[in-house]
Amino acid sequence: MSQEVYEVTIWARGVFQDMEGRHATLLMANAADLGGQFVQAWDDYADLPDRVGVPLRKYVRLSDEEIEMRFVYVNNNPVLVMIMDDTIVKGLNILRGMPQGGSLVVNTKRTPEEILAFIPNKELLANIVCVDASGLAADTDIDFMGSEGGVEVAAVGAGISAPLVGAAAKVCDKFTVENVVKVASNKDAVQKGYDTAQVKAL
Amino acid sequence: MSRFIIPKHLEVPLGACLPAPVKEQPGMITGNWRTERPVIDHEACTTCLNCFIFCPDACWHLDEKTEQMVWNADYCKGCMICVNECPANCLSTVNELEFPDGVVRLEKPF
Amino acid sequence: MAKEVFYSGCAAAAYAAKDARVEVISSYPIRPYTGIMMELSKLVANGELEAEFVLGEGEHAQVSIAYGASAAGARAYTGSSGVGVTYAMECYSPAAGGRLPCQMAIADRALDPPGDFGSEHTDVMSARDQGWIMGWAESPQEVYDNTIMYYRIGEDHRILLPQFCCQDGYFVSHIPGKMQMEDQKAVDDFLPPYNHPHTLDPTKPINHGPQIFPDQGSAINVQRAVAFDDVEAVIEEVVTDYNKAFGRNYSPFVDEYMMDDAEICFFLQGGHARTARFAVNHLRKKGIKVGVARLRFMRPFPTQAVAESLSKVKAVGVIETNTSYGGVTRGGNIAPESRAACYNLDNRPIITSFMAGLGGEIVTLNEFYAMARVLSDSVKSGKANDSYWMNFEKEVLDTHS
Repeated sequence: MSQEVYEVTIWARGVFQDMEGRHATLLMANAADLGGQFVQAWDDYADLPDRVGVPLRKYVRLSDEEIEMRFVYVNNNPVLVMIMDDTIVKGLNILRGMPQGGSLVVNTKRTPEEILAFIPNKELLANIVCVDASGLAADTDIDFMGSEGGVEVAAVGAGISAPLVGAAAKVCDKFTVENVVKVASNKDAVQKGYDTAQVKAL
Repeated sequence: MSRFIIPKHLEVPLGACLPAPVKEQPGMITGNWRTERPVIDHEACTTCLNCFIFCPDACWHLDEKTEQMVWNADYCKGCMICVNECPANCLSTVNELEFPDGVVRLEKPF
Repeated sequence: MAKEVFYSGCAAAAYAAKDARVEVISSYPIRPYTGIMMELSKLVANGELEAEFVLGEGEHAQVSIAYGASAAGARAYTGSSGVGVTYAMECYSPAAGGRLPCQMAIADRALDPPGDFGSEHTDVMSARDQGWIMGWAESPQEVYDNTIMYYRIGEDHRILLPQFCCQDGYFVSHIPGKMQMEDQKAVDDFLPPYNHPHTLDPTKPINHGPQIFPDQGSAINVQRAVAFDDVEAVIEEVVTDYNKAFGRNYSPFVDEYMMDDAEICFFLQGGHARTARFAVNHLRKKGIKVGVARLRFMRPFPTQAVAESLSKVKAVGVIETNTSYGGVTRGGNIAPESRAACYNLDNRPIITSFMAGLGGEIVTLNEFYAMARVLSDSVKSGKANDSYWMNFEKEVLDTHS
């Protein structure tokens, strides 16, 4: 009796990437919403972002129907995992719980092979997407009020979240890059992220 | 006699009181907070112990036998205070992905 | 202009307080309600809300400031969670007894020990005897709506009581949902400015809380009893008006879902009702006649409305997300009150309680199915336990598949 919910987990680093991590969830959710999906987008409750470098999780859940189990603490089975800093591959089992055939999107200047060398359970992946998001978008302000339920002040999708979600649109059929461009503030970066992303099928 | 059955995975210590960590806290590994790590040139190092003194996470210590500084990959957060404070300039900052070792790989953040 | 937004319960409370034109905000940080104060401080700092934003040195100071401001003639707003709520315990009775209608936003948090941010209603339930109005929202939209409605209920001159506007910590306070924020003018039309019969005024000095002799005690207490006699009528008026003004569909006291032909039901307050309704949809497909009754006010406990609602079924499962150790059902607080509400019915339903969601645990669809099985069995056998602790009872562990 279990509902089909498409789970996304985004990993970001504390203080400097907290806002971009949250903006990535909002870009995906808003774009999917334009496409008629039912959406949830929120920050992990226990991963407090006010510590520089701490790994943080942000979540998106998308479904064709209204989501029934709305109140969850983590996404246990993410189909799409996005990491905003490539060194995160060494620190955590980021593919934990991924069903067979999922996708990984990485913000990196390195090649997919270099990243995959650090992932022992890479056989879960159908593909990996590498995009140099930090090269495509400038650093943005620090604002972690959103992780405590506050409202975003800065325009959503101005920094690295834009090219990363653009790149994710290449492997996720729940939202289109056109809709991401519509909802993002840095529309160029979304398109460039989509265009320059290297997708390697596994 | 209470009617309750406590499943194994829900057994917790009485009053939620735990033994306190003494030398390290393996329940709070922080090595995965860093994006880069300090790399030491042992030849240039004078064992002045500045890195040991200044490290906020006690990640440098002097190995008495080898007389060399030893770095703790499990807890170093990559703050680079040691690099900043080293008077011999024997510490440099290198991106973490340059090293196949030092993988923390936690199942969950904590 | 009304605006559709995607806000958390914390943001909803903050913006509702802004639209309610609160004048004094008294704050102190504690998760998970803290987001409300963070958002309000932002609004005050950038001039969007003209209010005094005060930082108390603790929750006890925080609530004292709020009712002091209320006594001085300001619409006052404060809030807390978990042990912060219990730290301010001394202040609740003076605020209610002094008839000072400030509002306290509660985003629930389990009480210590140990440190747990998860939602549990015990924190503010422990203050339910103090004379405040108290009710739970199930969504950010309802948090927004309740904030505005509660001020009108509390400030009504027939009532003049402070209010706890509650929401589940994290589930409602931190997970955003789509909601509508209303036009400021429309809110102003619905909620008139605060005025109190006797505010602190240097030209007309008054005494708050003078010393009395015990033989005047009952006279002081009966005043609040009178207010609570009148409050249900005021709540019905206010909710009806709000529904009309803003196109909502709230029942004043008990929100019913598929209750009319139900044989068993889930009875609860707060966010888990949303999951319960989906569970009901699935169970109904299997031919099980189950419904959900959601309690919107814990104080005043709507005795009549609850009796009417629960009398429709043969067995009621109260989902208690609160604890009352050693209480009559060895469970929580809602089941004993529900049983008392049904005491005079000719056909009392079986009323049992399920201790679920404690400490902020998720209440899953599977747990609701296990509860339904226990309730159906109780209809057949004619009896049930006083309480079932979801993870720890043989009957529940057996049905939980």
